[in-house]
Formats: sequence, C-alpha cells, structure tokens
Amino acid sequence: MGTQFAIEVRNLCKSYDKLLAVDHIDFQVPEGEIFGFLGPNGAGKTTTIKMLISLLAPDEGQALVCGYDVERQPYEAKRQFGVVPEEANVYTELSPWDNLMFTAQIYRVPVNERKRRIEALLERFGLQGKRSDKVFTLSKGMRQRLSLAMALIHEPKVLFLDEPILGLDVQSALMIKDHIRQLNAQGTTIFLTTHQIDMADDICQRVAIIDNGQIAAIESPENLKAAIEGRRTVEVVVTNGGTNKQYASLAKLPGVTQAIRQGEKIRLYTGDPPTVLTGVMAFAHQESLPVMAINTNGPSLEEVFMVVTGKGMGAARRKHPGAECKGCPVKEVCDSEKEETDNKPKKHHSRFLKGSCEH
Amino acid sequence: MIKNETLVRPSLNMSWITRLSNELAQAWAIAIKDIKAYYLSPTTVLWAFIMPLAMWSCFVVRQNLPGEAGLSRLLGIITFFSTSSIGPVIILLERRMHTYDRLLVAPMSLWTVIIGKSLVGIMFGLMVCILPIFLGLAVFHLEIASFIIMLPALILSAAVFSALGTLFASGSAQMPCEVLIPTMLLRFPLLFISGTFIPLNQMEPWMRTLSYISPLTYAQDLLNHAIVGTSMLANGFIWPEGIQFCKIVGKDMAGGVMDPLFDLVMLLVFLVLFVVPSMMLHKRSRRLGY
Repeated sequence: MGTQFAIEVRNLCKSYDKLLAVDHIDFQVPEGEIFGFLGPNGAGKTTTIKMLISLLAPDEGQALVCGYDVERQPYEAKRQFGVVPEEANVYTELSPWDNLMFTAQIYRVPVNERKRRIEALLERFGLQGKRSDKVFTLSKGMRQRLSLAMALIHEPKVLFLDEPILGLDVQSALMIKDHIRQLNAQGTTIFLTTHQIDMADDICQRVAIIDNGQIAAIESPENLKAAIEGRRTVEVVVTNGGTNKQYASLAKLPGVTQAIRQGEKIRLYTGDPPTVLTGVMAFAHQESLPVMAINTNGPSLEEVFMVVTGKGMGAARRKHPGAECKGCPVKEVCDSEKEETDNKPKKHHSRFLKGSCEH
Repeated sequence: MIKNETLVRPSLNMSWITRLSNELAQAWAIAIKDIKAYYLSPTTVLWAFIMPLAMWSCFVVRQNLPGEAGLSRLLGIITFFSTSSIGPVIILLERRMHTYDRLLVAPMSLWTVIIGKSLVGIMFGLMVCILPIFLGLAVFHLEIASFIIMLPALILSAAVFSALGTLFASGSAQMPCEVLIPTMLLRFPLLFISGTFIPLNQMEPWMRTLSYISPLTYAQDLLNHAIVGTSMLANGFIWPEGIQFCKIVGKDMAGGVMDPLFDLVMLLVFLVLFVVPSMMLHKRSRRLGY
C-alpha cells in the first residue's frame, strides 16, 4: 500500500511523571519536504523526535514513518530513516571508517556495497584524510559530519535531525545546511528540530511551532518572515538618561510601530529599520542626545510566538480543542478544570497537577 | 483511538531464516565493535587477568590443592569476573555518550542488542582463559579430564555471568558506580558460597544451602567435571540439605548429586532468569524515557 506522507503523527502524547511533555499533537510531512520543528528548550521537540525514531514509547497516539507504524512495525519503520542526534553519538574509540562500517553492518547494507558507500560518504563529508584516525581526535564539526554520514549509509528515505547545527562554528553549520539541501534535492524527506528561527527560516519548507508540548502553529517560513518583519527593533541606549519628552519623541518617529522603554534604553519596533535608524540619528543630532549605542535586532523567539500564536510562550493555543485525553496520566486534573465550551475560552491540559490552564 | 488499518503498510514479507541470520549478524557486529572499542585496551585486559589472579592467590593457593583443581578454580574466578564486570560499565558508558541509542534505533530486535552485548562477554572471557590453560598444560603439565566438557562449560558460564552483568546495567542506573557497587556486593558473597574459595565440605550447612542458588556453584562444578574429572558435589559429599535439594528437583541420588548435564541445565535456567528481566527492564526504560 503506498503512502503520500513520509511522516504521520496522530494524537501523540507523552508524559514524564506529572509533566506532560507532548500533548496530543498531530501533523503530517509529505514525502520530499524539509519540515522543521521550532520551539524553545523544553517545548517537547526532542521528546517528539524520540517517539518518531522509536527510542521512546508514547503514552498515546500513533506515529507512522513511510507508512509503517513505529510501535507495531519497528523493524520496517527503522529501515526507512536515519538519525542525527543533537550530540554526535559516534564511537570515539573507533575511526570514522570503523564507525561507518559498523553502521553498515547493523543496517544490513549489502556486503558488496559497503566499501563503496563508505568511501563516497567520507569524500562527500570531507573526512577522507581522517578515515583512520580515532574519532576522539576529531573536532566537533567533524564528528557531526561523521554522524550525518552514518545516518546516510543505508540511504534512508527520511532523515531526522535534532538540533543539527547547535554548537557548531559558522563554516561547519553552513556545510551541514548545504548537505541537508542536497539530500532533499535528491528526494530525502528531512525532519529537523531547532530553536533557532534563522535555521528554520533558511532551509525549512514548513515549520511547526511547538511550545509546552503543543503545536501552536504550522506555518511556511514566508508567514514567519511576515511576522518577523514587523517585529524588528532598533534599540537606543542613552547615557545619563534623556528627558521623558525626548523618549516620547523617539517613539513617534516615522516607521516606529511600538516603543518600549527600559530605563536608559528604548526599544523601537519597526518593519523598516533603515528609516528608523536615520530618524534616530537625525533626532539625536538635533537634540544633542548623548546616544551611547544603537542596535538593530531581529525578534526574539518569544516575540515570534506572540505574533504567530497570539499568546505568550507557555500558553500556546491548542490546535484541536475537541480532542480529549484518554489514558494520559493528567486526565483527572484536566477533567476537573474543564470549563463549558459555549462562548468561553477553553482550558487546555495543565502541565502540572496544580496551576491554571487556558487554551 | 483513531483507526489505522487503512493508513499502515503491510509488514515486510521476510522469511524467518533471513531475519534470524540478519539478527545474528547484527549481534556479531555489536560484539566485534565492543571488542575493538573497549575490550582490547591494555587496562581492560590487565584488569581481567590481575584481579582474578590476585583473588586466586589469596584464597585458593593456600589450600594446597592439586594443580588441576587449582586451575579449575582459577578459570571459574576469571570467567566470573571478566564477563560480569566490564560489560555493564560499557553499557552505562554508551548510555551516557548516547551511543547506546544507536543500537536501539537500528532495525534489529532488543534480543539482538542483549545477545550482542552478552556475546562480547563470552568472547572476552574465553580469550582471557587461554593464557592460564596454556600455562597449565605447557608449563605445569596438567591433565585436562575432558576438553569436550571444558569448552561448553566455559562458554555457558561466560554467557550466564555476562547476562548477569547486562541485567545490572539494564535498569535506571546512569553512573558506573551505581552498577559497580551492587555487582561487587553480589559477586564477592557468591565467590564464598559457591565452593570456589571455600570447599563446600568445609562450609556450615546453612552456607551450603545457599550454594545451590548460586550460578557460580554450577559453573564451578562443571569446570571441575571438565578439568578435575569429578564433581565437588559428587557422592563423597552428600549432605542432608543436598538430599533435600535433590528431592525437590527430582534428581536420582545414585548417579551422584551433580552431573555435568544437570549443571548445564541449571546454568541454562540461570541464563533465562537473567536475560528475561534484562529485556523487561530495557522495555521499561523505553517507556519511562531514561
């Protein structure tokens, strides 16, 4: 039976003790897409990916990879994907060659194919010169590249990457991104998690924003960009303070949509930073304002969340208000705190046994 | 619960022989990888020799046993220590470095992972036993009673003790000390109640009773059959508690309290007793997320 989705998740739920880490999420990833899972630390990204790669058993729900149920058909499902974890989990006492050969053996790559594929991967990822060196002598970037190579030895249809460029230098990060694009161009479906908006914006075709275990939105990067544009800021720091009138005048400069003052610093929100910059400098010159620093910043993740979801972080809107928790450990609390649905905001599952909850 | 019959692809149509051969090849690959990465370091090899040799020197030498009996006990100690102590530490180390996850997300069953981890213990145990056997034969001119029994004795003993070590590492322990301390607390008493350090006929009856529940008793007895040619629990050493035990297991007393086949069966029982809980603990850790 064929399937049009490389990854399909239905009502996936996972709790650790009293903490609801993943709260009944649903999404589908078509074949050949680069799909990003964007969220802050502790949002549930890694827990979700662990359930998809069969490293963690879900409490509820179903995950399919290339049409195979990860829980009930693990052998078939695991043959379809490769995994690049957050920290390159390569065998440091072995060489890159031995690492790749071992992976080829456990993934049952045909014997007559192994050497050819290993050679090709070593060359592709620039590890030819280090093929016989012990991995503990390699840099972090090289280890991550080796980890990526090991995930590709069996030519999987789906590739899972958990924070693939975290902690890497710029060059290594660019190299990894290029490899991801090339793999996708060859037909591999990519599922990656990240907390970096730029990463999601740069290479993902669709991005799911996850917060507190719930998917707040699934947007294309274009929509994220639209949200980002209006939330750029020009931050002005004034030494010895300015007058309230001067701060008020800065807030009224052309192009400024919102202004927030924090002591000697004022943050001007705008969709047109160059215009605001020009206005600030002209104003400072005109008023002899002792400006110590001017910075332009992109929006923080929290601000993107606020724009996209309409809520702050930690209070993500529930995408499926009709779904009920069945078999989840926090069900009793949710039932007791449910409000009437008619014309009233629905309450979502509280992550902890005590505390208010809101959709 | 959302119905999924129309969403899920049918499972692969693979013959059980193909699947079994794949899994065995994967277990072998795991064992060879562990040997290369961990077991061949000089520290590991030296530890595997020196620790048992030191204990043998402390407890066995002074008993003035015949050479064959001494060799039998030395092999028992080496097999017990080398296969049950290194494996669990390596599993924990791999857990901390997340390389153990590589095995768990690969397309193979959990049995294969456990068998692979136990297999390396067997291989290492056999490897370490080669030197004392060689020295015993070539230098001290000892006579082995039965090579046919000795090889399966060593293999099965190593398998049981390796499985015991894997069992300790299958729980929620994250640090090596969380495994080393409990295993030490278990291993030393077993050495004292199993007839390795103290001959069974010199033990108090209550201690001898405990010896029947120790896997090392049967491993040591089997090695005695193989090297010395007699059981330490043979006819000459029939004790009241031994008679009771034989009644429980239905053993015929006329044939001797213990014979090699019975030792083999008991070791297989212990192997199952260690492997099955190990599987269950692995599944539990997958459910709880550690």
